[in-house]
Amino acid sequence: MTSPLHPLTLWIWALLMAIGVVTLDNSWVALSVVGLAVVLFLIRSDGAPWNATFWWSIRIAIAIILIRITIGVLIGVPIPGTTLFSIPQLGLPQWMPGIRIGGDVTLERLSSSVHEGVIIATMIILFGAASALTSPHKLLRVLPVHIYEIGVTLVIATSVFPQLAQSLQRIRSAQKLRGIERISLRTLALPLLEQSLSRSLQLAESMESRGFGVHGKRSRYRPAPWKMLDTSVVVAALSFSIVMVVQ
Amino acid sequence: MIKFSNVSLIYPQSTKTVLEDLSCEIQEGEMVLVMGATGSGKSSLLRLVNGLVPHHTGGILAGDIEVDGISTRSVRPGSLAHLVGIVGQNPINGFVTDIVEEELAFGMESLNIPHDVMRKRIEEVLDLLGLHSVRNRNIATLSGGEQQRLAIGTALVMNPKVLVLDEPTSALDPIAAEEVLSVLHRLVHDLSVTVIIAEHRLERVIQFVDRIIYIEGNGETSIGSAEDILARSTLVPPIIRLARALNLQEIGTSVREVRRLTSHLREIDIPQSQSTSHDRDDVSFKKIVTVTKASISYGEKLALKEITTQIGVGEIVAVMGRNGAGKSSMLEMIVGLRKPSRGSVEVLERDPSALTGRDRRRTIGYVPQEPSDLLYLPSVDEECHQADSDNSLHPGTTFNFLGRLVPNISGNTHPNDLSEGQRLALVLSIVLSSSPELLVLDEPTRGLDYQAKNLFMLSLKEYAGKFGHPVILATHDVELVAELADRVIFIAEGEIVADDNTLDVLLSSPAFAPQVAKVMSPKPWLTVDDVISAIGMEK
Repeated sequence: MTSPLHPLTLWIWALLMAIGVVTLDNSWVALSVVGLAVVLFLIRSDGAPWNATFWWSIRIAIAIILIRITIGVLIGVPIPGTTLFSIPQLGLPQWMPGIRIGGDVTLERLSSSVHEGVIIATMIILFGAASALTSPHKLLRVLPVHIYEIGVTLVIATSVFPQLAQSLQRIRSAQKLRGIERISLRTLALPLLEQSLSRSLQLAESMESRGFGVHGKRSRYRPAPWKMLDTSVVVAALSFSIVMVVQ
Repeated sequence: MIKFSNVSLIYPQSTKTVLEDLSCEIQEGEMVLVMGATGSGKSSLLRLVNGLVPHHTGGILAGDIEVDGISTRSVRPGSLAHLVGIVGQNPINGFVTDIVEEELAFGMESLNIPHDVMRKRIEEVLDLLGLHSVRNRNIATLSGGEQQRLAIGTALVMNPKVLVLDEPTSALDPIAAEEVLSVLHRLVHDLSVTVIIAEHRLERVIQFVDRIIYIEGNGETSIGSAEDILARSTLVPPIIRLARALNLQEIGTSVREVRRLTSHLREIDIPQSQSTSHDRDDVSFKKIVTVTKASISYGEKLALKEITTQIGVGEIVAVMGRNGAGKSSMLEMIVGLRKPSRGSVEVLERDPSALTGRDRRRTIGYVPQEPSDLLYLPSVDEECHQADSDNSLHPGTTFNFLGRLVPNISGNTHPNDLSEGQRLALVLSIVLSSSPELLVLDEPTRGLDYQAKNLFMLSLKEYAGKFGHPVILATHDVELVAELADRVIFIAEGEIVADDNTLDVLLSSPAFAPQVAKVMSPKPWLTVDDVISAIGMEK
């Protein structure tokens, strides 16, 4: 069992690492940071439902790299250099100079697209790891009181998604049994909207009748202590980003 | 403790008053039942107590409600949180956090209660409700009964003087329901908590309550002792119906009392009519559904283990069992929503999961746990038209059928605005409009009052009797099973533990025995009609 980190630690870590990666703008450093994030995730994941966020962030990151490469290869300002291969170029009218669709694909063009994609992907994976390893409910607890209510709204909004997916599946299967084969917005939206609205209303009602927001101050049942481990994680990330910025 | 003075309530855009001139006083440590037909305003009355109505829902309120001397008009519901604990109909929708202990702490944190007090109260409540073993569990993994107890716990940690519960046992199996009710009983007696409870299944709660507030519809209410109200109400549990049918001088609200009143009946020696058990291997037993060694697993967990059963023409089969025993999985497998991971399911010698469109409608009718999942059009009329045209019926057929189930339903009503009973009737009419060869219903009577339930039973009996189509329903409602089903399949932990005619299954387990059977034990009578016909024979 790994000792628990303060809910904010990993978010601060992700932020500092991200600053470092963006300032240095080097793919290799970015990739090693991704490696670090993966290792961190594998060590610290504990089977909580929000752990799945990390794999989603990796999928999104890969998708972003691929999209960036495709767009970079097909469209955009050409970068002269070693031509790898050519694809037929689309003739564009005179008034669009400097832009081409298709044409020669150079090594430089390709590597700069990959590089840009990797930097963006790193950001996503860093914050993906932070959110996958921190319980949103615990994060909520450490937020200052003034933004607590906004925080609650956000957490509830995000927790609604899995429920929404669940309702959606239930409605779909029920309707399939009514012999409705075609998925249409009309057949799904009405029952779905109705169910999520009534859920949110019930949740709001329950929170209200349990005294939510009555007092300006909230006490904490499980205070989240800031420990040495948290300090060392943050210091490590801070030194990384300082080194990167100074370079 | 609670004082209603001339309370009237009306919702905007509604012509019907929910409550009119209600005045009553509820004492400390009293347990009061709120009863009434579906949609009569029970929930509204409950939510008046902590001011959720009208602060949260809107509505025009006249008169005043005082709780422990504080008028609910003057404060928001949150400011009454330390005084009134309220538990809604679907507790799972009201949970804010995801761990049992944190959920219990949530309310106290909002009230800025010091840490050491919180710890103490949480331990007390975990003890009282028997939730110690699940204190660190994720709420989503708890059983229905545990969730309900947790919901009561979240209200209790605030040390409220009043506890308000809206149908706390409607989703629970008989055993879990008894656990919850005995906890409430203890709270009333040991801690003098005032409890206000709304419930349709009177047979479950009636023995515990001191007084009844009866909402008769059209805003009229009456308040009195359980015996007084039940003596003249139209909504009565089976034991009162029994007392009426037998013309007893007194009525009793508990099995013990009525047993005492009817002891002479059990002494009569009546020749037992031989119950004819179906021989399912008989050639004349035409099978509609055949399940052979079917298993279903969710990841590691086996929901159904090698189930084998057959259901034949005209049978009404009830699937019973505790929360999470695998009832819904079994129904979903039969209707073809879920393929068995091993074994096979056949409906009319076809694979139910391969059916589509019109073919499916004609073969299997399915009413899911949330009937509204099937509805997607903005009015009752349009839903009925859709059903007519889907099944190429004469326009108006479905609506006429609906009108027979629930008269005075307006075609312009939005399905959302129907009462639970009306909505079930609408879904049933739509499903039956394609005259399916098999009808499957999952927990159909949640939230139905006795009258709606009767109508529902009649239409199912007609459907099974007239066309010979079998009906399968999963339910916790033993009284419904006693009246309706020919046969009961009892499931525990994914295995069939009993599969026999209703009489034998229900009588063999005290927890699942209906009220009349408990009163008349050891005589094998399940319903009021059974008793009357048995005695009638004697006379």
